[in-house]
Amino acid sequence: MKILIKNGTIVNADKIFEGDILLSNSKIISVGKNIPESADKVIDAKGKHVFPGFIDLHVHLRTPGREDEEDFLSGSKAAAAGGFTKIFCMPNTNPAIDAESIAQWIIDESLRLGVVDIYPIGAITKGREGKELTEFSALKRAGCLMLSDDGASVSDSLLLRRALEYSQMENLLIVSHCEDIRLSGKGAMREGVISSKYGIRAVPDIAESLIVARDIELAKYLNKRIHIAHVSTAKSVEIIERAKKQGVKVTAETAPHYFTLTVADVEKSKFNSNFKVNPPLGDDKDVAAIKQALGKGVIDCIATDHAPHSQAEKELPFDVAPFGFIGLETAFSLTCTYLVKNKVIDLGGVTEKLSANPAKILGFKQCGKIEKDADPSIVIADLNKKWRVSAAGFHSKSKNSPFLGEELLGVIEYTIHKGKVVYSGSNR
Amino acid sequence: MKEWTKQHILGIKDLSRDEIELVLSQAQAFKEISQREVKKVPALRGKTVLNLFFENSTRTRTSFELAAKRLSADVINFSSSTSSLSKGESAVDTVKTLNAYHPDIMVVRSVSSACLYDFDKYTQASIVNAGDGQNEHPTQALLDMFTVKEIKGTLEGLNVLIVGDIRHSRVARSNIFAFHKFSSQTTVCAPPTFIPYEFDKLGGVEVSYDLDEVIGKADVIIMLRIQQERQNSSFFPTIREYVDKFALTGARLAKIKKDCIVLHPGPVNWDVEISSAIKDKVHPLILKQVENGLAIRMACLYLVGTNKR
Ligand SMILES: [Zn+2]
Repeated sequence: MKILIKNGTIVNADKIFEGDILLSNSKIISVGKNIPESADKVIDAKGKHVFPGFIDLHVHLRTPGREDEEDFLSGSKAAAAGGFTKIFCMPNTNPAIDAESIAQWIIDESLRLGVVDIYPIGAITKGREGKELTEFSALKRAGCLMLSDDGASVSDSLLLRRALEYSQMENLLIVSHCEDIRLSGKGAMREGVISSKYGIRAVPDIAESLIVARDIELAKYLNKRIHIAHVSTAKSVEIIERAKKQGVKVTAETAPHYFTLTVADVEKSKFNSNFKVNPPLGDDKDVAAIKQALGKGVIDCIATDHAPHSQAEKELPFDVAPFGFIGLETAFSLTCTYLVKNKVIDLGGVTEKLSANPAKILGFKQCGKIEKDADPSIVIADLNKKWRVSAAGFHSKSKNSPFLGEELLGVIEYTIHKGKVVYSGSNR
Repeated sequence: MKEWTKQHILGIKDLSRDEIELVLSQAQAFKEISQREVKKVPALRGKTVLNLFFENSTRTRTSFELAAKRLSADVINFSSSTSSLSKGESAVDTVKTLNAYHPDIMVVRSVSSACLYDFDKYTQASIVNAGDGQNEHPTQALLDMFTVKEIKGTLEGLNVLIVGDIRHSRVARSNIFAFHKFSSQTTVCAPPTFIPYEFDKLGGVEVSYDLDEVIGKADVIIMLRIQQERQNSSFFPTIREYVDKFALTGARLAKIKKDCIVLHPGPVNWDVEISSAIKDKVHPLILKQVENGLAIRMACLYLVGTNKR
């Protein structure tokens, strides 16, 4: 099936222009003016913006183990609704994605469902226990491109060294969840005046940056690549910026909540468990630093850390509720509302942070751009329209979002993946 | 005097100075009743008070129970330890379930800090906080204030000294907020490991690590209970060293102002926070706190139970 997208404003990272796009299920056939209407389906994109499909390096799909919270189909639909056509799921499942068979099964399921591409991220250590390395070669053979123990930090510096060294053989990227677990303890929020005022166990910001520093020192010493997950503090940004200047092979992601919410919102929410996330929400200085780092390219990309939880889990008191909230369906609009509107990044920056840079990190040469022969994954959005976040509007099985009720700018109207419309309509 | 309009008493943070004064004067009236031969009044007749305790506290529960009975309310006690919560039923489930009895007031003790603020989504009842984790214990602070006012005649311009495990203490937090509303200054004195991060930025609080230096200027001293297991988490090396630096001993008692009041939320670990050698000197006041606690809890239940909202 061929799709022709007419008269859209095409947003590549380096160039924005008006034009038509003709694509098939294997590639973009042509990009240009006045392409003849010979396609099976024609979409009028006049007044709309057209982006290459977004790539999310960090989601939790809860499958296998907690299919009641999210499964591959609901997670794929949520991704498509959010403009993501490739998503990378973290291995903190039950069982963990620590063996070839599980990784292979995820890729098979993704192909069978045919909505978006789901890639498994393999565990660095067996059972994510931080003790023994998994079979990196077997995981690579199954289709893993990245490895992480996300949710847990690899505390043992020697083990992480071995992982960084051994992963080089298979060109696997190590994604580091940076947290000094002794310092973070049972903390539920960022340590500061608010946590002290309410007597809530809290996490100091250095619990993240200490390990960011350690991991970067290791990568530098070994001259290996490392990717830092969900950067949340000004101190981490400073360390990453310095390392990049020195030529260390470090890349970094942040999540939308780290450029939109602060610990003051946690208090304002009356300690609603939907505002509990790891790493925890920081203060105004952190938000400013994260925004600046996105603007300057110190942080390469935006990943959602989509983390579904059941209603019962989120009804637990703040100090014992699980961490995280869903993010696939709000990430693009939060980026428009909090970054583009405030001129932190321009429209090309949206493509860069959500598509081109993740593609570059992965080595996906045909992704992250709209041009002849590129990957036929496209997002069409109306940037003049607003929508209100509601539980009923989510495609995810879980509804835990700190943005419920908020009005956001930027409505996704179509998501096309491999020449197929996988999401359409403003049924929000 | 203003009229009481609050539906809940969740913490001192949310009470105004006027509201605190209202509770104290109401408690004064109830204290007089407790000294009569017939101690019961029909103020809450026909109302149901539910004592919902997710953490064991016989003393606080007994105080609330007796307070409710003195006001002629029907009382239900529900205790649920953390172990039954871990079986899958959350505190919220329990509140929803017990709400089916249509209680007028829920007195809640919880292990989780700041967990009561959204309970009104699940019940129509007024909620009185009987201690939520390490956040607040408002009735304890109110009874401390009541006791101080009874003896000192004022709550203003006092130097309040709180000694002990500030970090884990809801009593310390509630008292700091309460005295601050009356322009009294609180000094917290403890090993630095027991002082929460950026605590001096809270407002109305000074921090000291030297009890001998600050004890002499205090008008009120509140000694907090030390949980011995904190020693295992490296908050302090040994009880011996803690006692040496922070216990109220005969020698330190000799340094305090003549009219200084010593309070303790109880139960006291004698020879840990307070030396048993001075038991006779400090214990009578601690027992007075227990008596005043009853009057304060009657006042709180009465005010939330009868307000015209
Ligand atoms: Zn993580």
